Amino acid sequence: MKRLTLISFALLGAILLSACSSNATRGTSWPGLAADSNNAYLANGQFIYAARLSDGSKLWQYPDKGGAQQFFATPLLTPDGQLIVGSAGTDQGLISLDPATGKEKWSAPFTGAKDRWIAAPLAINDTLYAPNNDGSLYALKLATGDLLWSLSIGHPLWGAPVTDGKLIFLTSLDHFLYAIDPQSKKIVWKTDLGGSAAGSPVLSADQTTLYVGSFGSKIFAINAADGSTRWTANTNAWVWSDPVINGSNIYITDINGQVYSLDASSGKNSWANISPDGPITGSPLLTTEGVIVTTESGSVYSLDHNGKVLWSTALGGKIYTAPVASGNLVLVAPLGAQYLLYAVNEKDGSLLPWHFDGK
Amino acid sequence: MFSDPWGSFILNPFTNVLLLIYNLIGHNFGLAVILFTILIRAITWPLTGQQLKGAKVMQELQSDKEWQDIQKKYAKDREKLASEQMRIYKERGVNPLASCLPTLIQFPIIIGLYQSVTRALAATPLTLLQLARSIYPFMNASAIIPLNSHFLWMDLGRPEGLPFPAGLAISFLPYGFPTLAIIVALTTYLQTKLTLPPSSNPNDQAAAMNGMMTIYMPLFLGWLVLNYASGLAVYFVTSNLLGIIQYGMMGRVNWRNLLPGGSKPAPSNVKKNK
Repeated sequence: MKRLTLISFALLGAILLSACSSNATRGTSWPGLAADSNNAYLANGQFIYAARLSDGSKLWQYPDKGGAQQFFATPLLTPDGQLIVGSAGTDQGLISLDPATGKEKWSAPFTGAKDRWIAAPLAINDTLYAPNNDGSLYALKLATGDLLWSLSIGHPLWGAPVTDGKLIFLTSLDHFLYAIDPQSKKIVWKTDLGGSAAGSPVLSADQTTLYVGSFGSKIFAINAADGSTRWTANTNAWVWSDPVINGSNIYITDINGQVYSLDASSGKNSWANISPDGPITGSPLLTTEGVIVTTESGSVYSLDHNGKVLWSTALGGKIYTAPVASGNLVLVAPLGAQYLLYAVNEKDGSLLPWHFDGK
Repeated sequence: MFSDPWGSFILNPFTNVLLLIYNLIGHNFGLAVILFTILIRAITWPLTGQQLKGAKVMQELQSDKEWQDIQKKYAKDREKLASEQMRIYKERGVNPLASCLPTLIQFPIIIGLYQSVTRALAATPLTLLQLARSIYPFMNASAIIPLNSHFLWMDLGRPEGLPFPAGLAISFLPYGFPTLAIIVALTTYLQTKLTLPPSSNPNDQAAAMNGMMTIYMPLFLGWLVLNYASGLAVYFVTSNLLGIIQYGMMGRVNWRNLLPGGSKPAPSNVKKNK
C-alpha cells in the first residue's frame, strides 16, 4: 500500500512536471497582431488566423491542424503582398503566407535559424531582415525566403528592427541597441541601454534620433548617426513597449502601468502619474484624439493629449499585445478572454457587435 | 501575497535563491542549477532519512510471518484485516505514515525546485514578465537578465542535441543526437533500479508496479528532456545522481538489482519484535 502511494505521488509529480515544462519552455506567450484595411491577422498559439473586420468571420487559418508550430511573433504585412510570421515552436520556421488565402508563398519555410522567432521581421526593398532568438539577424530574399547572409549579435533578439533607409536599428536582450549596415553586414555602432530591450526603437520624423526604452527603467534618445545619447529619462519600472511619436511628444509606458508623455527634445515628462488600471506591455497606439493603451487588467483606455481619460472599455482576460488600428477601429487581442479578438470604436470605445473566437 | 501562496512561499523564494547562486558564481546557470539542487537535497536530507527508515520498517513488516498470516486469514474481511493491521502497528510501535509524511512534505519542494528552474529560463515574453515579477527588488533584475544559459555544449533554454554528421538528419530528432536525454533516462533507470527494495513476496503487486516504474519513468523523463529546455535535464541528472549517493550513504542501495535476476524475492529474515 505504501509503495503504491509513493508510485502514485511519483506519477502525479511526473504529470505536474510535464505540465510545468510545457508552459515554461515551449512557447506560451501573448498573441501577435497585425491588420490591413479589411482583415486582422492574429498569431495565436498553434495557429495564425485571418479575420474579416466587416463581421469577425474567419477568412482562413494556418495550418489546418496544429502541430509543432507556435506563433506569437507579430506578423509582418510586406509591400509585395506577403504575410510573414515566425514560429516559436520546435519547427523554428519563418513562414510566408498569402494574406488573402493563407497559403504558403515560399516553396518552404526558412528553417536555417537555430532558435525560435519572437520578433517581427523588417522588409526593405527585396530583402527581409529577421532577428531570431539565437542572437542572429538573418537577411533573406523577400520573394523566396532564401538566405542571403546572417550576422551573429550574440543574445536573444526580441524587438522588430527599424530602418532609416540606410542602417538597420535593432535592440537586444544583451542591453544594447545596435546599428547595422546591411551593405557591409557589420555593426556600425552599439549603445548600452542599461538593461535588456524587448521592444523596438522608433525614429524621429527627421530620422536623426532614435527613441527606445529598456528594462533598466530608462528611456533613451539616441543619435542615429553615431549612437551617442542625447538624453535619458527615468521610468518607474521596466519599459517593454515601443515609444510612439506625436510631433514634439513621445508617448511610452512601463510595466507598472504608468503612461509617460515626454518632450522629444529634452525627455521631460509632462504627465504626472497617469496610470490606468494595470501593467502595460503593449505599445501605445496614436489616434487623432490622443493615445490608446491596453492594460494587463484587460482594459482599453483612450487618453487625450493632456492625459485625461476619454473613455475606457473592459474586455476581460489580460491584454499584453499592442492594440492595432484599422480605419476607425482599434483591434485588441487579449490573452485568456472569452474571445481571441475584439474590435473597439476609436471615438467612443464601444465594442463592435462581433467577436472573433477562431472558429 | 496570500492570493498566490504557492508563488509567495515556494516558487518565488526558490527562484530568487537560484538567481542569487547564479549571481554569486559568476553567471553560470548550469552550475547554479547543480548547486541549487544540491542545496535543496541537503535541506531535505533529514526528511529523506526519515522516509527511508519508515519505508524500511514497513517493508520488514511485509515479510513478517504474522503479518502475512493475517493477510491470508482475513483476505475477504477488510474490516477485520484493518483492525488486525492496526493491532500489529500498535504492538510493534510502527507508524504507518512514517514514510509517507516526509514524502508529502518533500513533494512541493521538488516541484518548486523544478518550476524555479523553468521560470528562471524565461524563454518567452510572457515567462520573462513572470520572472521579472518574481525577482525580489534587492536582486536588481535588470542586471541579471538575460541569463547566460550556455553550459558546457548546451544552451540550457533549448532542447539539447549534438549535431548529426552532414546528410544524416533524423526527422523526429530535430535538435540532433539527444545525448542528455539518454543520460537522463540512464540515471533515472539507475536510481530507480538501485533504490528499489527487494520484495519478499513473489505475488507482491507493489513490486510489479515498481518494475513498471523502472521502465516507464526513465522513458518519460527522457522524452521530456528530448522536447524541452536542457536546463531541466541538468536538474534531472543532478537530482538522480544525488539520489543514488544519498541512498548509498544511508546503506539503502541494492547493487544486486543491477544483476540479471537480482531483484527476485529475497528470503525473509525479519524477526518478531515481541
